Amino acid sequence: MRIEHKRARLVFHIRDLKLEWAIEPRYWRNPLLAVAGLALLPLVIISKPDYLTLLTTANIYAAVAIPLAWQMVGIGRMNFGPQFFVGIGGFAAALLSIHLGWGPWQTLGIVILLGLGFGLALSPLTTIAKGLYFSLITLVLPLIFLEFTYVYTDVFKGETGLSGIAPLVNFGKIRTNYLVSCYFSLGLMLLSLYIVDKVLRSRIGLYEAAINDDEDVAETCGLNINGWKILCFTVTSVMIAVTGWFAAHYYGTFSGITYLHLPFMVKILLIVMIGGRGELYGSIVGAYFVAFLEQALTILGPVHYIVFPFVLLIMLSTLREGLYGLYRRHKYREYYPTIRVRKR
Amino acid sequence: MLLKIQDLTKSFGGLVAVHKVSLSIEKGEVVGLIGPNGAGKTTLMNLISGYHKAISGRIEFDGADITGARPHKICRRGISRTFQIPRPFPDLTALANVAVGVLCGKHRPHMSYSDGLLDASHCLEFVGLFGKRNTLARDLTLYELRALELARALATTPKLIMIDEVMAGLNPGEASRAIKLVRRMIEEYHITIFWIEHVMKVIMEATERVIVLHYGEKIASGPPQEIVHDPKIIEAYLGEKIA
Amino acid sequence: MMDTIQFILIYAIVLGSLYLLISLGFSVVCGVLRVFHMGYGVTFVVAVYGMWMLMKEFHFGLVPAVIGMFVIQTLFTLGIIYFPVVKRYIEQEELLLTSLILIALIVEEAANFFYPVTAGVNLPTTILPGAVKIGPASIPIQMLIASGVAIVTTAVFVLFLLKTKRGLVIRAVSQDRESAELMGANVGRIYALAMVLSVIPPTICILVIAPVWSIEPSLGLPLMMTSILVAILGGLGNIRGSIMASYIVGFLSSAVAFSVNPRMMGLATLITVFVVLIFRPEGIAKSESLW
Repeated sequence: MRIEHKRARLVFHIRDLKLEWAIEPRYWRNPLLAVAGLALLPLVIISKPDYLTLLTTANIYAAVAIPLAWQMVGIGRMNFGPQFFVGIGGFAAALLSIHLGWGPWQTLGIVILLGLGFGLALSPLTTIAKGLYFSLITLVLPLIFLEFTYVYTDVFKGETGLSGIAPLVNFGKIRTNYLVSCYFSLGLMLLSLYIVDKVLRSRIGLYEAAINDDEDVAETCGLNINGWKILCFTVTSVMIAVTGWFAAHYYGTFSGITYLHLPFMVKILLIVMIGGRGELYGSIVGAYFVAFLEQALTILGPVHYIVFPFVLLIMLSTLREGLYGLYRRHKYREYYPTIRVRKR
Repeated sequence: MLLKIQDLTKSFGGLVAVHKVSLSIEKGEVVGLIGPNGAGKTTLMNLISGYHKAISGRIEFDGADITGARPHKICRRGISRTFQIPRPFPDLTALANVAVGVLCGKHRPHMSYSDGLLDASHCLEFVGLFGKRNTLARDLTLYELRALELARALATTPKLIMIDEVMAGLNPGEASRAIKLVRRMIEEYHITIFWIEHVMKVIMEATERVIVLHYGEKIASGPPQEIVHDPKIIEAYLGEKIA
Repeated sequence: MMDTIQFILIYAIVLGSLYLLISLGFSVVCGVLRVFHMGYGVTFVVAVYGMWMLMKEFHFGLVPAVIGMFVIQTLFTLGIIYFPVVKRYIEQEELLLTSLILIALIVEEAANFFYPVTAGVNLPTTILPGAVKIGPASIPIQMLIASGVAIVTTAVFVLFLLKTKRGLVIRAVSQDRESAELMGANVGRIYALAMVLSVIPPTICILVIAPVWSIEPSLGLPLMMTSILVAILGGLGNIRGSIMASYIVGFLSSAVAFSVNPRMMGLATLITVFVVLIFRPEGIAKSESLW
């Protein structure tokens, strides 16, 4: 049997047969294979609950990075503060659960409404603020929220965070809980992926690629750019808030210092950069990479706080387009909406 | 009267680009707009299509007032334009470029995505780019980019197309192909055309009426034969001595 | 009531001068290199912990430690920040910002690892101990000295920019880089010079104010947010604007601290940044260059 690698295709020559397999995330067999693999993985590692938590964390990171990738294409600017919406979702779920005793499925509705409200309220920023100023505003937002939690520390429990949030599922046995939660996180991530993929492949994806490429020309062709930007920002904000909801109910604790502060922002930023800056499937690769790296480096002890950003810095400087860039360079041609983050 | 402009004025800081320009265009006319460099022709086009907001004046299109309206609303009403330096969407294929125009140009609630792509391929075929429909727009040659601009402008099914210097930079063979294309457009679609052009041959042959701008003001309007021999126009282009 | 107003005014001036000194470096980098130095906090951390390291591990005296620390700062800025990062990524903003933030994070975590908050880091740079009473307020003399130093440093900077040849070239590069290059200015060298100059005010500031303010590895971020606020309010990269803006921010901080709630100081600063960024991102001063 001979295997040839030709233009993003693997060609298998078995005696007289020639079988082709496209190495391409959108070729329908590949995502199916990946989803099947990911679905079986928790059952394989069920004996080690640490690994299940790791997988869940990776899925949570991916669930933040996927809507963020769509947002970056859709509004054409780099959002440095998606963790603001993670905070909204998480704190809403935590406060409702602790003070009113609501279960996770009841808090979900409120989280979606809050995400919608805040998303709509902040969406004019996408039309008013230009380039770098939008990134700065989004950088400042989570910090404002963090200071807010410090000031009203009796409500938000500033530094220590809220604990005692109702768990997502409760079957009595801890192992089953972990397993089911892991599958939930996988489901959440795949749902986000499915939604964003379908959107980007439809005419909305075409409009957003046009807006991203050249806004003024798109408007001359009849596109209502402000409307589409507001829509993209609002929907992705709701999706990110839902991720915050999941994180709060899964871990049982939620604190501003974990989710709203700079290190978490840097993590998300790196997932986006390593994943190729706005690439949909690349952000999943980036999320898993960062989650696994973080866990692997904890072996080193307290030094890992220094080594983690250092490794990521080296990766940024050597791999300009992130890990996904390695894949892109081998591919043939890219006709998918690519991001061009605009400076103006 | 399809397009009526009254006393349109636009200035950038201290520089008055367009000063109290009034003109009108009837349905089905082919009107040329000429003038030396810096006369304000492209600015006028930008004002009509909504890219800039005029300081004073009024633009009426098809009976409705469109002064100060947003560009996408103006496109929906039926004005389309091309750009002097072609501005396609560089990372989209030619087909996708035109599809944006098809799907957004008018309010088409029953058109699906694949219908839009089909329509886009019709427009591409009309300008002769069907073979390049899957090429990225940044890989097209200059002539193909100009044709793409025309295809995208046509895709929005406009009532008035404003063409901005489609001949610039083309060699004679490509130039004659471009003129034939625009002629076909006029004959088959019966669109009104407002054409900025520097190449006099084209103005003489293709247009019925010519408007001349100089330093932002309209200095003449009439059939091409008259305009070319008018001493004021010659003075504007070449200076006093020659006139 | 009168007391509160006097408190507010006195602290407005003191805090304003300090904020001016803190944000002077940021304005220089922003104005000349046109780069948002997101790792600006690293300067403060390197200053404090570099000096502590020199005095504790290498047993330098006070004055040699100060000189050694300036040397370390220059080497660090040129060797780690300017040449490998800024020069390579000056065209790609996202990579540049991310790398700078990462460097700041690495240095902060390293400082936390070697000298955590419990290690009792303190710099013996008190020039005059004690406090003095101005009106109803009792202010540490060190803080007054710090404000004085701030004003003197700014004056020296401005004189350098206005009166010397190098200052003229720096101003030219900040106004129009390409034209300055056409006139023969060595832009690379000017950028390096600007980066080194930008390190001096924060170092002086943290040296003088260390005895009065708390020292911890994460002091970089709040100080950087203040510099960002002052820079944005004053018009990015404009020193005249920064001077005006720093006193406005000083007044705002002290007004919030004395009349509303001292815990709200940080929040008020951040909300002001937010509002200014939305409604007037160009800032107070209308010019785009350094002076």
